[in-house]
Amino acid sequence: MQPILKINLTTGETSEYVVPPEWERDYLGGASLAARLLYPALTRDLDPVSPDAPLLFLTGPLTGTAGPAVGRFVVCGKSPATGLWAESNCGGFWGPELRFCGYDGLWITGKAEEPVYLWLNGGRLEVRDAASVWGEDTYESQSIIKTEIGVPNAHVLTIGPAGENGVLFAGLFCDHGRTAGRTGLGAVAGSKNLKAIAVKGTKKPPLARPEAYMPLRGEANRALKADNIAQVTHDLGTAGVADYADYLGSMPKKYYHQATMENVDRVSGATMAETILKGVSACHACVIACGRVVDLGDGVRRKGPEYETVVGFGPNLLNDDLPAIVRLGEVCDRYGMDIISASNIVGLAFHLYEKGIVTDKDTGFPLRWGDVTGAEKLLHLMARREGIGNFMAGGARRFAARFGAEDEAVQVNGLEAAYHDPRGVSGMALVYATSPRGACHNKSDYFFVDWGQADASLGLQFYEKQAGAEKAANVARHQDWRTACDALVMCLFANISPEMTVGLVNAACGLDWAVDDMLRSGERAWNLKRAINNRMGLTRANDKLPKAFLEPYADGPVAGYVPPLEEMLAAYYSARGWDPVTGRPTREKLRALGLSDAASDIWS
Amino acid sequence: MFPIFPSPEWLQTLHDKLNSDERYAQIARKWEGDMVVIIEPSGHLAERLIYYLDLWHGKCRKVEVLKELSGLKPLFILTATYDNISRIMQGGLDPMQAMMTRKLQVKGSMAYMMRNVPTVLDFVRCCRDVTGEIL
Repeated sequence: MQPILKINLTTGETSEYVVPPEWERDYLGGASLAARLLYPALTRDLDPVSPDAPLLFLTGPLTGTAGPAVGRFVVCGKSPATGLWAESNCGGFWGPELRFCGYDGLWITGKAEEPVYLWLNGGRLEVRDAASVWGEDTYESQSIIKTEIGVPNAHVLTIGPAGENGVLFAGLFCDHGRTAGRTGLGAVAGSKNLKAIAVKGTKKPPLARPEAYMPLRGEANRALKADNIAQVTHDLGTAGVADYADYLGSMPKKYYHQATMENVDRVSGATMAETILKGVSACHACVIACGRVVDLGDGVRRKGPEYETVVGFGPNLLNDDLPAIVRLGEVCDRYGMDIISASNIVGLAFHLYEKGIVTDKDTGFPLRWGDVTGAEKLLHLMARREGIGNFMAGGARRFAARFGAEDEAVQVNGLEAAYHDPRGVSGMALVYATSPRGACHNKSDYFFVDWGQADASLGLQFYEKQAGAEKAANVARHQDWRTACDALVMCLFANISPEMTVGLVNAACGLDWAVDDMLRSGERAWNLKRAINNRMGLTRANDKLPKAFLEPYADGPVAGYVPPLEEMLAAYYSARGWDPVTGRPTREKLRALGLSDAASDIWS
Repeated sequence: MFPIFPSPEWLQTLHDKLNSDERYAQIARKWEGDMVVIIEPSGHLAERLIYYLDLWHGKCRKVEVLKELSGLKPLFILTATYDNISRIMQGGLDPMQAMMTRKLQVKGSMAYMMRNVPTVLDFVRCCRDVTGEIL
């Protein structure tokens, strides 16, 4: 692999870091390699918004190779929202362009005296004054920086005002609205006075066996283009699954407190395709093109919402106005806020208002379900940290705690839940409770497995959507696979066969792996991330679900059901080889995975 | 006893089932569109089979065994190998799992498909209800 460029923003020093070959083999790249590299730095005492905190941008061995949905990168560090492991990956073109510069990653520490942005032009790095863009929104920042550097086809990754203001769910944005949204790493960048990173390169990413990779790449892209899930996401966007999620009872409404909603089909991907859709957009070399381009009748081409945005600003708020959802999503994008977290916190505010816990005195205006005007006002307040927004900017857990109602926040360990209800797809109970970054739906998108994506070649079985402990080992195995995909950094919608994925990895990295080797690599990184979190204070007690997920719906398709979390967790620890009392990976498990240092640290 | 799957007799039995099943009639009452099922050779099936079904408002208006598509443009074309479709018919493979793990390919309006998943699943139930012996 190519070196990683280390940059100390305090001193301005730079150096090239070469990854040891055994780590390159064992961790491949992306979030897995980041966990290995950051392990020594991520301690309990580390303040995630201090100059010492690292911010590591990594690509994977397939990034920029025009393989199947692999034009991605990941950013990792310590989350200011959770105090735990942070990772958030992102599509667009920025990741490939970084590799074209001759680097597989950027490893940033320190804090600039004044706001700066980085301009990496091939192998040449400039630290530039960001006075012209500090305070600008993410869309404007990208545009202004491209003009300043005079390279219109450069790619700019930026934070918005939310990241500058330390909003704990601020993200990083590139290529208009492609987002590394989760875990608040935009606030970490902001704390370093780092506004943006522009990249432009010309090098080809290295491939160990290009003669093997190229034909396989073509085969994989053709297979992906013909795939049913890819067809749905191409034609309807990721919101194409909204109808099915609603049918199964896995799409939450009214801040996870209502199972059904009249006219919910007005906000589906299918409705979008039939009404406001004007085009599609794709990440680097992606044959799916899940991105939506919509027109609300004002002649402006806007980013259309994906599934999480549709549900977060739609049924979550009992809103069936699709154009309003588009506008609320754009408000978040421009401020640079993660939409899942922001919409969750707005829903929480509505919920607390309904319960009389938050009042007009706190907000200055009423909050009524379905009122998008109130929702938008809250977004402005939280991004600017004004009024009640200052409390909301700390995330759902802190916001609810401020009003003595922490149990009402639908979050795990400080990360707001995504919109896949474990009462409809029970595997998500384990996913939310054990994900290294909180209530995240991507470190295993097990809702897809519960819907049917149970790939036999991964050793996955297809269980009933509301099965309990019997699916725990399945969840663990799927987490291992997705962790390996996050090492690549491969899009979750790249629904090609696991054997094909491994073939691409072998050709790119010069390996001779089978699917089980990839799973092992994923298992290693999953356990390492767990050990990192254990070291930063995570205990067995952190593996939990919010109250809302443990209360049954009174009606709807999954009425009366709650996931048997404790039974599932017991089976999960057993499947993982983790200590059932502490929830830590056992010494033996860690050593067997080549993680003796972590074994010594968490069991000393 | 039901006719062996796949066979023209089985297809006719499915036609009759779809026109007599009250649950299907209710769930599929808004469905408007025809469908072609292509069964690719594998296992005991040596030649490709093409089945045509015209489905409308909870009823089946017509079924036909085709030799080729010859310009036909149905609302949906479903394609699977004989082995995989047999597993679906016998209940050993969930239809959604088949669609999501590359064992059953769907071509057609994905908007229509996603809005009508309950109809698709109940159609499969009817298929299973008339499937006993296979090749």
